Amino acid sequence: MKILVIEDSDSLRETIIRSLEKERYVVESAANYQDGLAKVSDYDYDCIVLDIMLPGGSGLALLQELKKIRKRDSVIIISAKDSIEDRITGLDLGADDYLTKPFHLAELNARIKSVIRRKQQDGDLDISLENLVIYPDRHTVYVDEQELVLNRKEFDLLYYFVINPGRVLEKSALVESVWGDYIDQVDSFDFIYSQVKNLRKKMKAAGAIPEIKAVYGFGYKLVTE
Amino acid sequence: MKLSHYTIRNLLFPLFLIILVWSSVFYVLIMHEIDDETNDTLENYKELIIRKALTDPDFDYSYSNEMTRYRIREVDPATAKLSENYFYDSTTYIETEMEDEPVRILRCYYMDAAGRCYELEVETSTLEKEDMAETIFWSIVVLYFVLLCCILVVTHYVFRKSFTPLYGLLNWLKRIHPGKNEEVYEMNTKVDEFVSLNKALVESVHRNREIYNQQKQFVENAAHELQTPLAIVTNKLELLSENPDCTETQLKEIGDIYNVIRGVIKMNKSLLLLSRIENRQYPETTQVNMNELLHHLLESFTAVYEKRALQIQLEEKETLLCKMNESLARVLIANLLKNAFVHNYEEGVIAIRISRNRFTISNTSNNAVLNKAKLYSRFNKEGTASDSTGLGLAVVKSISSLYEIEIAYDFKDKMHSFCLTFKN
Repeated sequence: MKILVIEDSDSLRETIIRSLEKERYVVESAANYQDGLAKVSDYDYDCIVLDIMLPGGSGLALLQELKKIRKRDSVIIISAKDSIEDRITGLDLGADDYLTKPFHLAELNARIKSVIRRKQQDGDLDISLENLVIYPDRHTVYVDEQELVLNRKEFDLLYYFVINPGRVLEKSALVESVWGDYIDQVDSFDFIYSQVKNLRKKMKAAGAIPEIKAVYGFGYKLVTE
Repeated sequence: MKLSHYTIRNLLFPLFLIILVWSSVFYVLIMHEIDDETNDTLENYKELIIRKALTDPDFDYSYSNEMTRYRIREVDPATAKLSENYFYDSTTYIETEMEDEPVRILRCYYMDAAGRCYELEVETSTLEKEDMAETIFWSIVVLYFVLLCCILVVTHYVFRKSFTPLYGLLNWLKRIHPGKNEEVYEMNTKVDEFVSLNKALVESVHRNREIYNQQKQFVENAAHELQTPLAIVTNKLELLSENPDCTETQLKEIGDIYNVIRGVIKMNKSLLLLSRIENRQYPETTQVNMNELLHHLLESFTAVYEKRALQIQLEEKETLLCKMNESLARVLIANLLKNAFVHNYEEGVIAIRISRNRFTISNTSNNAVLNKAKLYSRFNKEGTASDSTGLGLAVVKSISSLYEIEIAYDFKDKMHSFCLTFKN
């Protein structure tokens, strides 16, 4: 899997690259419009992480160029601009997803995985981890081929864990991904504790090997041993 | 008090004084003139009488009619002062009128060819000075009031006519709000003062608008520029936390830093939201069903704050529909809900009432009545919640004013309540 990161901030670019390399992607990068356009024209990528405000030109213009040369690379826009128009323009131009800065690396990882999975389009794709199998499009989970019945939030939580296995997930990253935007008014994320507790109980009862571990004062982690 | 009223009020007393002084002077002058004229007449008459008396031996030494009288008597040459005329006022009983009438008398002396001296007294009826004074007084009084009425009417008319451009300018100024684009005011006047006032005001408004825009731009740019550094910090912390060598204590520390950063991110987002609302960057509006929106939000908020065991009293009389931007509607209600949840105590009450055009949310709280003046200002933290950004109600206010939703705060029966009145 090859990913191109086009982002002008060196520090942010490096961080994203390091995080993606941990996920065993092949990662290339560009720091401005021209380099980005050159790379995009010459090579194919499974996913392009694209910043909008770039030296030398707009990321949206680059996206237009990309679509002009009929590349089918998936594009995730990362932007400091959180305006709805930009989001809509980006998605209209053919971007697959739009992430507003600042974002969690775990969230970026989840979005990239989801975008790549959607692109492969081999029908109903599942994600499996040990004896756990998730069908994201059908919202179903199986443990040893036995269906594990979860409510919507529990399913979203588990999906986020499974797509980021072994990664320590900070509470707010989990909440923002599962509960969405309107919850960002909330001050305390302690409520996630009971949600995770229920999920953990259900998984344990079904005999799932992966286990959600609490990391004190920080968040949670899905472990498989 | 209107300027015209003020002017008229200030005119009353000086006008009174002026008229008083002027009428006294007028009276004295008139009297003086009348005396002068009478004296002249008497002198002429005297000449005539003396000439006749000296030439005509049959001349009557005394004569009297309604208007004039004279008396001549011989006097001792020693007492006669030949070259002098004495004028004085007196009264004479007039039989036809049966009363004393004022007269003016000239007394003089003359000598005939034989060297005998005579005293001549000529008198003529004159004005009744008291009557005159009374007449003048009443005319002055009438003049005073007539003048006053005229001044009143004229000033009113003149003020209205000449101040029309000023009132136009005032109305224009009242319509000026920072951030709102207002049409340029064209003043139709030739009055120099108004023209320069207009110029000064237009310039000042223009300057204010520029400063306001710069400030707004600054907030927006600053907030934007902060997004990338914040992303870097968050992501670096994430990478750090994924390091397998990280101990639990270190993770706890990272978690704490995370929470601080999250507060900054939230504040930054709110600032961006505020400046975007003020820049009117939410043009798309839909018919938002507030009841549905509320149910949706309540569900998630109750889940979040279930530990507080709050009692929610929901009273939905009617469906509240409002034409506005959906995400702003959500932010508006979410902020009010969050406010009610956060500033509450455990097992407290949140009461929400919805009618056709009104949304009221009340909550119990340990806080005393809030300061209405500072309630909606940015970074005003009156409550006890330590990790609030102090921007929630500023956002609420900003959204309400964007859609001209009236917002009122009240503290009654130990409940803080916010009431939104929609204009639909």
